[in-house]
Amino acid sequence: MFRGTVSRAKRRVLIPAALAVTALVVAVVLVAGAGGGGAAGGVSYVGGSTSAVLYAAGHRHPVPDFTGTTLTGSRLSFAAYRGRVVVVNFWGSWCTPCRAEAPALAVLSAKYQPSGVRFLGVDVNDDPASAGAFARGFGIRYPSVSDPGYVITQDFSSAVPISGTPTTLVVDRSGRVAGAVFGSTTYSELNAILMRVTGKAA
Amino acid sequence: MTDVRAEEAAAGLDIVPSGAGSGGAGAGSDGAGSDGTGKSAPPSFGISGWLTWGWRQLTSMRTALVLLFLLALGSVPGSMLPQEGADPAGVQQYFTSHPALAPLLNHLGLFNVFAAPWFAAIYLLLFTSLVGCVVPRTFRLAGSARSLPPRAPRFLSRLPHSAGYSTALPPDEAIEAAAGVLARRGFRLRRAPAAETWVSAERGYLREAGNLLFHLALLGVLVSIALGGLFGYKADKLLVAGQTFADTRSALDEFHPGRLVGGGDLPPFTITLNQFAASYLESGPDRGQPSFFDARISYTASPGDPARSYDLEINRPLSVDSTKVYLIGHGYAPVFRVTDARGQVVYNAATPFIPGSTGNFLSEGVVKVPGAQPQQLGFLCVFVPTAVDVGGTLESVFPAAGNPAVSLIAYAGDLGMNSGVPQSVYQLDTAGMRRLTTGTELLQPGQTLRLPGGRGTIAFTGYRQWVSLQITHDPGQLPALACGIAALAGLLLSFMVRRRRVFVRARAGERGTTVQVGGLARTDASGGFEDEFASLANELAAAHHSTGPARQSETGE
Amino acid sequence: MSVNLGLGQVSNDFLIAALVVYSLSVLAFAGDFAFGRPRRAASAAGAQRAASEARVAQLAAVGAAVAGAQTVAGAPAAAKPPADVTAPGEAGRPADAVPAGADPAAPPATGETRAAGPEQGRPLPEVVPSGFGAVRQAGAWVQAALALSVLGVSAHTVAVVTRGLAVHRAPWGNMYEFVTALTCVATIFFVGVILRYRAWALGVFVMGSVVVALGLTETLIYTAAGPLVPALQSYWLDIHVAAMTLATGIFFVAAVFGVVYLVAGRYGKRVPAGKAAPGNGIVLRLPGAEQLDRLTYRTVVFGFPVWTFGVIAGAIWADQAWGRYWGWDPVETWAFITWVLYACFLHARATAGWRGRRAHLIQLLGFASLIFNVLVVQVFVTGMHSYAGVG
Repeated sequence: MFRGTVSRAKRRVLIPAALAVTALVVAVVLVAGAGGGGAAGGVSYVGGSTSAVLYAAGHRHPVPDFTGTTLTGSRLSFAAYRGRVVVVNFWGSWCTPCRAEAPALAVLSAKYQPSGVRFLGVDVNDDPASAGAFARGFGIRYPSVSDPGYVITQDFSSAVPISGTPTTLVVDRSGRVAGAVFGSTTYSELNAILMRVTGKAA
Repeated sequence: MTDVRAEEAAAGLDIVPSGAGSGGAGAGSDGAGSDGTGKSAPPSFGISGWLTWGWRQLTSMRTALVLLFLLALGSVPGSMLPQEGADPAGVQQYFTSHPALAPLLNHLGLFNVFAAPWFAAIYLLLFTSLVGCVVPRTFRLAGSARSLPPRAPRFLSRLPHSAGYSTALPPDEAIEAAAGVLARRGFRLRRAPAAETWVSAERGYLREAGNLLFHLALLGVLVSIALGGLFGYKADKLLVAGQTFADTRSALDEFHPGRLVGGGDLPPFTITLNQFAASYLESGPDRGQPSFFDARISYTASPGDPARSYDLEINRPLSVDSTKVYLIGHGYAPVFRVTDARGQVVYNAATPFIPGSTGNFLSEGVVKVPGAQPQQLGFLCVFVPTAVDVGGTLESVFPAAGNPAVSLIAYAGDLGMNSGVPQSVYQLDTAGMRRLTTGTELLQPGQTLRLPGGRGTIAFTGYRQWVSLQITHDPGQLPALACGIAALAGLLLSFMVRRRRVFVRARAGERGTTVQVGGLARTDASGGFEDEFASLANELAAAHHSTGPARQSETGE
Repeated sequence: MSVNLGLGQVSNDFLIAALVVYSLSVLAFAGDFAFGRPRRAASAAGAQRAASEARVAQLAAVGAAVAGAQTVAGAPAAAKPPADVTAPGEAGRPADAVPAGADPAAPPATGETRAAGPEQGRPLPEVVPSGFGAVRQAGAWVQAALALSVLGVSAHTVAVVTRGLAVHRAPWGNMYEFVTALTCVATIFFVGVILRYRAWALGVFVMGSVVVALGLTETLIYTAAGPLVPALQSYWLDIHVAAMTLATGIFFVAAVFGVVYLVAGRYGKRVPAGKAAPGNGIVLRLPGAEQLDRLTYRTVVFGFPVWTFGVIAGAIWADQAWGRYWGWDPVETWAFITWVLYACFLHARATAGWRGRRAHLIQLLGFASLIFNVLVVQVFVTGMHSYAGVG
């Protein structure tokens, strides 16, 4: 390394001085934000946690079209999923919370298969050998596209603020993000979102 | 900070109408000015009186001086003790080596001095004191820029600089000529009322303006730092040669956003590390000292843009879309291929290792194979770029990969990864694992180790290099630079410009007109007013066709 | 690019030569103290008396002026300076009127000229020529000392330049080179001060300190010419370290002035208290306290903006190299402390109760923090500035 340690000049900010400026800035932000719709609007939480959210009809952002190579080496285009409810799961074999949520995803993908819901993995920062072992080990049968450099993830961040791995998105039939789980999901959380998005629950 | 008043006192001026100077006592005397308030007793009337008194105390030069001193003193522990911001590992180490002392120091904020409340208190009081002094002075300067110089004193020879001579011109014409000379030299003039024959002139208002600019610019620097802290961010990313990364939150290894930074604020660029080259001195006493680093990257500023290439070097960051990308570190990533008991390839990747502190890039790392069947596998490894066997242990003798080798210890069991608790990729939790190899196993590129009990194989197939990148965005940077330059400009103005007054009086006498010239400089930091005065007095005399007395030289101040 | 060892050797030789010549110049400055042209050597008490007499005379003159306005004007006898005080030199400039020739503003002279008829004022002042004329009148010892100083400075400059040519970069990449360059700045600056302010009485102290600093550097931390690590391969090294070197050289001179001020001031206090014998030949040749104070102040005023610029340039470089312009790295912290302490000095000089002795102690504290930064922090405290190359 060229330097023994990482400095964090930015964090060493002179708190109280910043506070004075903050007051001004907050005022400006409030004034500026009063006109347009806030980003927080149209969001409801699922299961009492703020990590699983549902977006109301007017607040769903369209996901980008993308193509990629699956772990088995075939081409996959997201356009083929248009018109269906799609669960997009961002994961990696190195990621421990992904390993924790994998069994639930395997079960849910089988359960919602008859209703036309499709599952799709985006395998980030991974090698195909490890990723294949992961899928085999957890009995995951749906395809995953390989995204070693987070390029597909970056595409999606225009629709949803993805801040880490894992993240699970539920895309509605019109190709918009209707729900999301930030961090490791559970059977009940994802199931609740899917019930709502597929119209099986009010 | 109310130094102008103190300076007036120091210069012994009593001709300044608003001046509080003690007058005539001369330089070095115990001037009054604003310093007097530092000694004044608290008033005996109500709250507003106390507040006024407190404010005067705070804005007095004496207090500012003490605060400045405290600022210097308070910074000292920040350089002597490890700081959380710059060296968190050092803080940890201090806690283990000084278990009794460390908590006490931590309580005092001495491991994070520059964010500590008491440090903030010092500089906020200092800047309040500064504002309390600079703002009134700004108004005073604005006022004096509108008003005229003071009337000429009666006896100019009592001024620090003075000269006298005779001329044949009548007094009013002499004054007229003097005014012309002074005006040509850029002085502001005050003309005498009718029936009096004198002229006052003043120059150098920029001195005070520069002084004020300096102090205000310091305030600006503070605000700029706050701006960066609110809206800036800093991120780190380790990138292996041949790999690409897209700038997005989940791709970053570390992300330190400012207080008002949102998640979607990252510019959507991608960077591919094509090749990293490092060269080192091959011989001499500094053998192994790095001489050159070069990370060849290609990047796209946003999706769909054409890819551009760039040589990222130290001291040569990449600017992309309001952020800067720096090369801050490098290391080795050996490539391993692991098969499990069933013969399946369950791992095949370049694995970044962290250079140790022993030098020459002896690097440590961990290979975790959670997908191996029937049991998970884990390996504790050391990578040595130029290996030499010294009594059974590997040592690195050169930082470049001349003779790379890996030594490892293999484990089988539960890696503890399925519980969902995040763990470091650089550490192996062997609590649920069993050691497979008795000693350390040595591998050279291309060699494969067969694990005992038919549990599989691990092959060391080669190595790649990685770089660590730092991505920063600091909107306070340019304002801070501008303020820094403004502060410097203000400083130079206040040191190089001198504010000085020149007075000329003419009186009719028996042998023609007697002309007196007097001058004084308020502060004369760089010196030289005596020379200027001498040249001015001579120019005036020439303009008056002076007739004497003899131009005998005389030093005087 | 490889190091040119031949040029490196040339640089070493010239540095040794400079050291020898500097030592000779110190001897010459000391010789001026011992055998130099005698000057008016009134005791401190005598000067005090002269000043108070002058003030009385002035008051009387003012009274006279008020009483009989025009009659005093132009009275030739009053305008003529008393003969026993000054002996005008060839250039018409009474160089010896100022005890050590530092600043032509000695209080007694002022007082006496004030006595010379307030209504008339002083005669026209001569436009002051450069300091060369003054040096010419100062005697052989001073001329020799100055010539040796200039010769030493030349050799020193050659040493610094050839070092830079040998390593194909700015010659201030490690501590040995830094001290070599800063002492070069100090001597150049001091020769300038001699010429501008006629302060050769301080030569023995300034040049003596330079000899000691340079000698210690040469013996303790000599580092052979070599290339730099990549972190230092930037043109900001030239700019940032050049400014720091320049400022340190100037502050070095200011610190020597400050010490002389404090020591002379202490002597001045001890004499009336009966603790020291009056008439110390060295102290009498020094500039007066006020002139020393002003000289120190002007020196610091010269160095402070340079230091400020150096800190700003360092911040720009830190931003280029490390991705932040300020990170409270130990060396940055100490540069900040130094800056604050010199700012303290500048303010203290304008504050009642802090002027004089206390202000100068702060100034010396500032220089101490600078030296501490160079010798201790950069060598022993781990940080991002650990480039000293001592070890």
